[in-house]
Amino acid sequence: MTYFFDGSKDAFLTAFLLAYRDEDAFLTAGSRQLALGQQSVFVCADTQKARKCEARLRGFDTACMHDLDMLLRSGEDARGQIAFLYFRLIAARRRAVRGELAEDAVSEAIGCIRRVALEAHRLKGFVRFMECAGGALYAPISPDNDVCDLLLPHFRARLPQLPFVLHDVRRAKAAVWDGAHAFTAPLARADVVLSADEEGWQALWRRYYASVNIPSRRRLQQMKGYMPVRYWKFLPECPAQTADALTTQNASPARCADAPLPPHGSAR
Amino acid sequence: MFDFFAETCYTVAMIAEETLRILTESAKYDVSCSSSGSGRRNAGGIGNGMPDGCCHSFTPDGRCVSLLKILLSNDCVFDCKYCMSRRSVDVPRATATPEEICELTVDFYKRNYIEGLFLSSAVHVSPDATMEQLVRTVRLLRTKYRFFGYVHVKGIPKADPLLVTEAAKYADRMSYNLELPSESSLKLLAPQKDKASLLAPMKQLQRERAVFRAEKRRGSLLPAGQTTQMIVGASPERDGHILRLAERLYRATGLKRVYFSSYTPVVQDGLLPCVQSPAIREHRLYQADWLLRFYGFDADELLPAEEDLPPDIDPKCAWALRNLHLFPVEVNRAPLETLLRVPGIGARSAQNILSARRYTALSFEHLKKMRVVLKRARHFITANGKFYGAGDMRTVRGLLAAGECAAGARQLSLFDAEAALTARTGEV
Ligand code: SF4
Repeated sequence: MTYFFDGSKDAFLTAFLLAYRDEDAFLTAGSRQLALGQQSVFVCADTQKARKCEARLRGFDTACMHDLDMLLRSGEDARGQIAFLYFRLIAARRRAVRGELAEDAVSEAIGCIRRVALEAHRLKGFVRFMECAGGALYAPISPDNDVCDLLLPHFRARLPQLPFVLHDVRRAKAAVWDGAHAFTAPLARADVVLSADEEGWQALWRRYYASVNIPSRRRLQQMKGYMPVRYWKFLPECPAQTADALTTQNASPARCADAPLPPHGSAR
Repeated sequence: MFDFFAETCYTVAMIAEETLRILTESAKYDVSCSSSGSGRRNAGGIGNGMPDGCCHSFTPDGRCVSLLKILLSNDCVFDCKYCMSRRSVDVPRATATPEEICELTVDFYKRNYIEGLFLSSAVHVSPDATMEQLVRTVRLLRTKYRFFGYVHVKGIPKADPLLVTEAAKYADRMSYNLELPSESSLKLLAPQKDKASLLAPMKQLQRERAVFRAEKRRGSLLPAGQTTQMIVGASPERDGHILRLAERLYRATGLKRVYFSSYTPVVQDGLLPCVQSPAIREHRLYQADWLLRFYGFDADELLPAEEDLPPDIDPKCAWALRNLHLFPVEVNRAPLETLLRVPGIGARSAQNILSARRYTALSFEHLKKMRVVLKRARHFITANGKFYGAGDMRTVRGLLAAGECAAGARQLSLFDAEAALTARTGEV
């Protein structure tokens, strides 16, 4: 039987209770092509059942809800099933199984959690804020996994006096620090007026980026290994262009076509 | 909700783009990019330390951009042969004001371009005058601009010890670059510097840190410690000599890190080689350095003083091949220290093995599933009694070198995602 759920924690836990004894259970938070005659059910979150299930699982492994939170943030289609198999093993063994990496269910789940954590970690570096006219900072991101609120505490600790918005344009949501409160909110579109100096600082940054590169060493593969191309879209330093323009060393690096935002532009 | 986007205008003094270009072009050959080691807290301003460091971008040369690396001035009174800022060359000169550097740092930082500042300078006017300006800049940054992000200050040799102490109050890390691996090379290529003028401030800072700790004062002095850098390939010293020097420095001055910089001919001089030192040499040195710092190796185990590291295989493989009598080891029983000495098994894999074998006897299948890279390791381990290696040393060496060469055709052995990680650190 295929169990569809909406990707939320409570719906997962409700589905888990239903599917636990089903040998052929398949949990998914996405859409799935069903084979002819295959049975499926849409599971809605049932808070009471979810709390009961959570308490049981916590009894086996106190830290397992953190794992679940990370797994459900994953952008992978298989996340529902990966989480299901992992939690079924916890329930079967009645203990934490995190270290049992020789088990498929565990290595899959831990791998998935690591990929989510890695992306959050990378974005701590790759987020680029733009300064708005009022002094607030705005950064569009488009992560593979649902991590924008994981970044909030990090930036809040270092920029306590500056309001900022981390805008996940892919999921149309934002993590916001307004100088006093941190929260997430749906955000389809933000109209942003940039500060007078923003363009100037971006130009200086592009200049800096181009001049610290050592053109005689070309290691593009290595560069892309550390900083996958899918993150380049929002980087004002325009890595693709610097990589191409290496031959004309002293030419001022121009703004690239898909640079984050034109002044007074908007992100969708 | 987003009313803080409301418009108010203000402007600040921005450094000129050309000044920035001149002052950063000459600073880029300092290879230290690390922003790790400091957990400085934000005390009502901008920024904090991130103990694990953070890479903000990568340039097409494969290096990480973590700090704003900039010189206060490139107008030097010294005349080091290898340096493009030396007195006797005719290049555009520029000097920035402390305020310009502070503004630049803060504005880059709040946009999340950088993790902090790496401030250095040519010897402008005199060592003391330069060091004073460096101190002024970092003091301003910490007090007036209330910046709590990472600050690395490169010390100026021959400056007054009091200025050194003062700079350490504000910096997270300081470094004096040894530049060359021996006194004689230094004399030849950097005539105004000598080993004592570089080692003395390092030792002074080491003492001051010890006193600070002993007195259990609040906060910490230079939380990210000291580092140094050596140019490799500009002078005749061999890898064995360089690694022994690094080992002594780790033990004697408590250095956090020794950086190696492949010599790049930016100036022509009869005393200097005119070819770029091969990148693979620098890479092997980092790998060996990693073995010294984290894997419990001694320089003596790795190679004799008058030899270079083999370019075709990594230093851990080379060591293992010389010590085949210690292998293969059984992954289900070997202690951590032994696992760490197996070529191809890094710290993460070793920990995973330790953790997984508590529940089940590990087979090669299990290891594969756990993403332990077996290409090299299989020659040195058994799993549940099974061995899949080549057995004799010559075959193994051939296989390992061939593996590296295949990757080397794409410039170095750095290019798959896993290897990409190890390239930065030198982990093997
Ligand atoms: S002291 Fe030597 S290495 Fe430093 S800037 Fe001057 S000439 Fe260059």
